[in-house]
Amino acid sequence: MDTSAFDADNSVSCLLSSIVPDVCKTEDCCLGIDEAGRGPVLGPMVYGICFCPISKKEDLKGLKVADSKTLSESERENLFQNLDDAKSFVGWALRILSPNTISTSMLQRTKCNLNTLSHDTAIGLVQFALDSGVQLKEVFVDTVGPAEKYEEKLSKLFPGIEVTVRPKADSLFPIVSAASICAKVARDHIVKNWKFAEDLGDIDTEYGSGYPNDPKTKAWLLKYLDPVFGYPQFVRFSWSTAQTLIDSKAVTVHWDDDEEDGEQAAQRLANRSVLSYFGAPGGVNNKQTHRFFTERRLKSMDTL
Amino acid sequence: MPPKKKRMPNVQNNSWVVIAADSVIDIQMKENDPTFVRLRNPATDAGSLYMLSGGGGNVQLHEVKAFEEDFRSWFVGQSVQRDGRLLFVTPMDPLYLILPYLIKSAKEGKFQPADQMVMDEEFPACSRLLSCTRSLASMHHVVDEKEVGGLKFHRYNQDKTLAWLKKKVEKTVLVLKKKNISVGEGVQSSSYIRVKMDSESSNEDYLGYAHGLISEYISKDLSKELRQHLQLPEITSPKETEPPSKKRKLSDKPVEAGEDYTKFNSGEFARKPPKKMTAAQKNLAKVDKSGMKTMSSFFRPKVKEEKK
Repeated sequence: MDTSAFDADNSVSCLLSSIVPDVCKTEDCCLGIDEAGRGPVLGPMVYGICFCPISKKEDLKGLKVADSKTLSESERENLFQNLDDAKSFVGWALRILSPNTISTSMLQRTKCNLNTLSHDTAIGLVQFALDSGVQLKEVFVDTVGPAEKYEEKLSKLFPGIEVTVRPKADSLFPIVSAASICAKVARDHIVKNWKFAEDLGDIDTEYGSGYPNDPKTKAWLLKYLDPVFGYPQFVRFSWSTAQTLIDSKAVTVHWDDDEEDGEQAAQRLANRSVLSYFGAPGGVNNKQTHRFFTERRLKSMDTL
Repeated sequence: MPPKKKRMPNVQNNSWVVIAADSVIDIQMKENDPTFVRLRNPATDAGSLYMLSGGGGNVQLHEVKAFEEDFRSWFVGQSVQRDGRLLFVTPMDPLYLILPYLIKSAKEGKFQPADQMVMDEEFPACSRLLSCTRSLASMHHVVDEKEVGGLKFHRYNQDKTLAWLKKKVEKTVLVLKKKNISVGEGVQSSSYIRVKMDSESSNEDYLGYAHGLISEYISKDLSKELRQHLQLPEITSPKETEPPSKKRKLSDKPVEAGEDYTKFNSGEFARKPPKKMTAAQKNLAKVDKSGMKTMSSFFRPKVKEEKK
């Protein structure tokens, strides 16, 4: 698989797609959606769609696409090749969400959780298929969050398309298995060939599976923790594994949307106690600074 | 949840980010070394930081102001500086700092040489103020002078001082107008572009604002005198800026409705269409409110429920 379009700038999200087979533009089609790399603290999350004419559903089985979790990496690689070779009736598209995109979405001021991010990406891919002229009639999705709500959301967005959301859809529907293979192959490729944007010298690539509970991953995270910057962009900062390590081992950084309880904030700002407002006026020697200076946050200095 | 972050006390820095005129840091001559000095702040009577630059007969005084906001740090070259302050070093008229010493000596009522008046055990650097360029030359703005045998003697003169300060205020007004600084009572956002420049700010607003600015450099008493001299109204005491008490004051006058509600009964009155909501309000309106109490329900008397 050629992921060079993403590798060129792995800090953003990227869309990769096959050409749309002509039959898909004329015949009624089904489409499967699945994702790879939802759990790991390292690397991108990849969303994949696969589509083919409903009449060719059985042909997919001939390509022996099965639940990708039961396959080895090389088997998946071969299956993807088979899918890509079936250009005459199978099309696919991938949305690669870089770890940096995941971090910045989840940690921005108006937080966007992973489920929302997943849903939006899936919806974007279905829309992409429609925009490319694919005659969609059926959509099969592996669930993210409660299946009914997700199904309702998608049905409302795409009237006229029959949406089926099921847990373990990747082992139930061949078209979802195919999508899952595309996504997994892409993720493996990217993680293996990750080009670090940071200058880290000869980097140790023994980061294991990338899942938080993998001891290799944990050791790698400890090794590459910078006290000021935290981690390279390869790491999802929003994962609690990364956050806990940063909180305990790196320098504390305060943002103005940090949650602070009232007492702490008051102490920091050296606020006056409420009681002081009820005391007798007068006798206060500290002069109010003119608003020209307070508005501009300018202060006289006592010492350096 | 990660453990709550703890704030560490600010540690002393040995570097600062400073904005200063080129002339201040021009150290071609060795004696030109700019130095931070602590001097008595005329407005607060406590110590504040100033900077003296230049040497010989060309010493310049500068005040040091810090731009300080929460949650700021600097990346300087290859290092991080915890202190996110930005220091401004700006030229200042040394007469402001000399003035308190002149006023203090005035109580003795005698003409004195300047170096006898400008002395301070707490801030010994104050004697350097007199070597500032034009310090002695501009002193005649605020003192009466006598020359005996080639020596100059001075005595503080309040009338002269007020006239000098008035000129300072007027000069400030010109700058405020030129720089389009909002001096009105209302709060204005600087990022909000106004199509029509507000002409509401009267000359008195400008004078008041400029007086406030100059008062940052003179004593409280002198600020009051200056206010009278400028014929500005007395400053409203902070008491009056507090919201009026809720209790209705008793008066002999007949009670009248404060607002006319009858207009709502007339046919002309039509309910205004609901205002457009912002994106945030729309989002809030979409929230599933089933099972939630309304805000107003919390403020109803509870008595009835208890009686049940």
